[in-house]
Amino acid sequence: MKRWLLALLSVATAAGVPADEPAPPPQHDACQVPDNRILGPRTLNRPLPLLAGDPTGGFHPACAVPWATLSPNNQPLAVVGCYRGNLLQVANDSACGRGTGPLWVSLRWVVTSGEARQSQTRTTACQQLETGTYAATRDFQPDCVPQNAAPAAPVRANTPTTGATPTTGATPASAPTSSTAPTPAPAPRPDH
Amino acid sequence: MGGPGAADRSLGRTRSRLLRGALHSLLLAAVALFFLNFNLVGTASPSKRFSQDLVYAWFGDEAWLYPRPSERARGAPAQPHVVVVMLDESALALRGARWPVPVQFHAQFLAELEVLRPRAILLDFLLIDPAPRVDTCDLLGVAARLRSEGIAVYLAVTRPDDLAPMDAVGCRDSSGAPIRATQVFTPVAVQRQADDSDFVGRRYPFEQRADDAPAGTGITSAAVRMYCDATSGPAACVGRLTRALPAEAGFELAWSPEGDPFNQHWSHASCEEIASPVRAILNQPALPRESKCPPVATLFATALLSPEEDPTLGAANERLFSLADGAFLMVGGDFRGSGDLVTTPLHTLLPGVYYHAVALQNLLAFDGRPKVRKEFRTPRIAFYCYDLLVLWLLAAIFLWRQHWLHGVRPLDLSPFELSPAARGWIAPFFARWPTPAWILAATLLLLLMATYRSLQLIAVATIVVILVAIELRVAGKGEIQERVRGLLLYLGAMSLSLAVIVLAVWVGYRWLRLPPGDWLGYFSFAAFGFFVAHTAILEFGRRIDELYVARTAGGQTS
Repeated sequence: MKRWLLALLSVATAAGVPADEPAPPPQHDACQVPDNRILGPRTLNRPLPLLAGDPTGGFHPACAVPWATLSPNNQPLAVVGCYRGNLLQVANDSACGRGTGPLWVSLRWVVTSGEARQSQTRTTACQQLETGTYAATRDFQPDCVPQNAAPAAPVRANTPTTGATPTTGATPASAPTSSTAPTPAPAPRPDH
Repeated sequence: MGGPGAADRSLGRTRSRLLRGALHSLLLAAVALFFLNFNLVGTASPSKRFSQDLVYAWFGDEAWLYPRPSERARGAPAQPHVVVVMLDESALALRGARWPVPVQFHAQFLAELEVLRPRAILLDFLLIDPAPRVDTCDLLGVAARLRSEGIAVYLAVTRPDDLAPMDAVGCRDSSGAPIRATQVFTPVAVQRQADDSDFVGRRYPFEQRADDAPAGTGITSAAVRMYCDATSGPAACVGRLTRALPAEAGFELAWSPEGDPFNQHWSHASCEEIASPVRAILNQPALPRESKCPPVATLFATALLSPEEDPTLGAANERLFSLADGAFLMVGGDFRGSGDLVTTPLHTLLPGVYYHAVALQNLLAFDGRPKVRKEFRTPRIAFYCYDLLVLWLLAAIFLWRQHWLHGVRPLDLSPFELSPAARGWIAPFFARWPTPAWILAATLLLLLMATYRSLQLIAVATIVVILVAIELRVAGKGEIQERVRGLLLYLGAMSLSLAVIVLAVWVGYRWLRLPPGDWLGYFSFAAFGFFVAHTAILEFGRRIDELYVARTAGGQTS
């Protein structure tokens, strides 16, 4: 009886979807477009939200500026870095003040030279809600925080993608997380 | 002939007859009211809730029942609307994060939402675990910027002091001034209510407070706070909605079976799920099956973060801006196994944020005057008196019909009953066979009907046709004419009853803000002679009345 239960449990565990593995990046990756350039904004003349930081240390909201601040002469901007097909890095490191380093902007808010080629392969979006119920326990981050422990760093992307060569970004599961943060990162959770 | 004395006596008799009729119908209505609310071992609650679900399933897309803003009207400044923004594993992966959602991701995401210029943003996440200081300060900084631009940011909390850890971090803005979480976030309750009978989330709490705390002192629920903050007098609005209500009170959520048309561009499932009442008549499922197309416009965070994920939002994001400009954005999570799901009456399971989104839609649709059950109203008895009044009218119509029917058909037979002639023809027909044979045949037929529901409608229709044919064949011409007149009278009384029900529904729903839980009860009361079974009480009442009259007359003579 016990053996049956163990066998069932092993099959169930093996068949289960890895709970904490992030989904892979999209197939059509803007980071794979060579010599990509930012041609202009698509925000209805609203300020562009810019991020500072890098994939290793994480991204932080820096400021929101008009396109004219990023490109005073309305010139296309070279993409010097790319992250997971949705963040583009520009050489500008002063639009949000000093010390931010090169800034990042979401692909959603800008038009790029690579879009014309990619638009030929575009398809209709398909999403679905995950509303299935499972009679199982997920790999759940518990509420408790170890006593006398400093707040652990949240999980960061660990694929540096800065530099002139566009990269696709690796899935975090394929690389180890920071060895200095062995405890699970206590972090917000959805209410339930 | 006659004279003033005779006229007075006639008037007195008429008045006495009317008074007696009114009293009898009142008694009948009171009995019906009791039976409609007779909650033996909690059986009345599920039937009322199911009745309500049926009303929303059949008519939830009608503007008279649930006046949601149309897609065409969306985007117009005068038409505030709700949009759910859904975070999932894919969205987190785009920024190298994973569940549970890090504060750093929230900060980034709020900055992206700023471009959309929404009216307000709700973060349906509990940020109660420690986070790195820089991430907390980033989040507070973006929220402060949004607030300075007139975009209110609401944050889910479970206790009033949930924001204290963020304040303890000691964040400062670029000018060195401290940023306090309570200044940039409006804390809101995200507690849910579910019906005891089936655990479906049909009602939405006004506030979260302890049972012994006075009304209006708790944490206001997310949808209520967001709605009231958008009005000209937020404090008065919250006060009005939470005033004099018990702690467990909530307002009823109207649901539409239809998905929001916007969702059709990403949903595999059809967003036009309509459950027709005909389906119920044909013995098919009366409520819509699980729909993956939710009733609130939904923007997936993956689509917002990456145009590659959803290129259909417009080359210049025109569809995206049209959707989100001036909207109430409610950011929630849809993570496998997180358990943040709500059971809804018409869309089965949905991520929890839809509970708040639909509640806000209700408040917007009903101008801040949502539907509230009788048991939460004050004075409660006044609302039951309203029910009694409606049933009184229906009972009066019923008795009037009975009275006229008695005049038309002296035998006092219902127009649906078999005539003696038909009975006289059917009984010998079955008597040809031995009793065990026809009883076993009838039992087998009923067993088959109970087992195979598809047979029920066919069998009932066949039996009705056969009985009508027998009546037409064996009943006399006068009998058939009487029956037709009786049927016409029944239809006339039904039409009058329906008119009363429509009026009652309009007054009750529109003006008294009562949910439609009692509507089918009214209808069944009028249509199927629900209280025919209870006319015995009337006969008993008449007998008591006769005794009283006799005793009074005796006292007068002596």
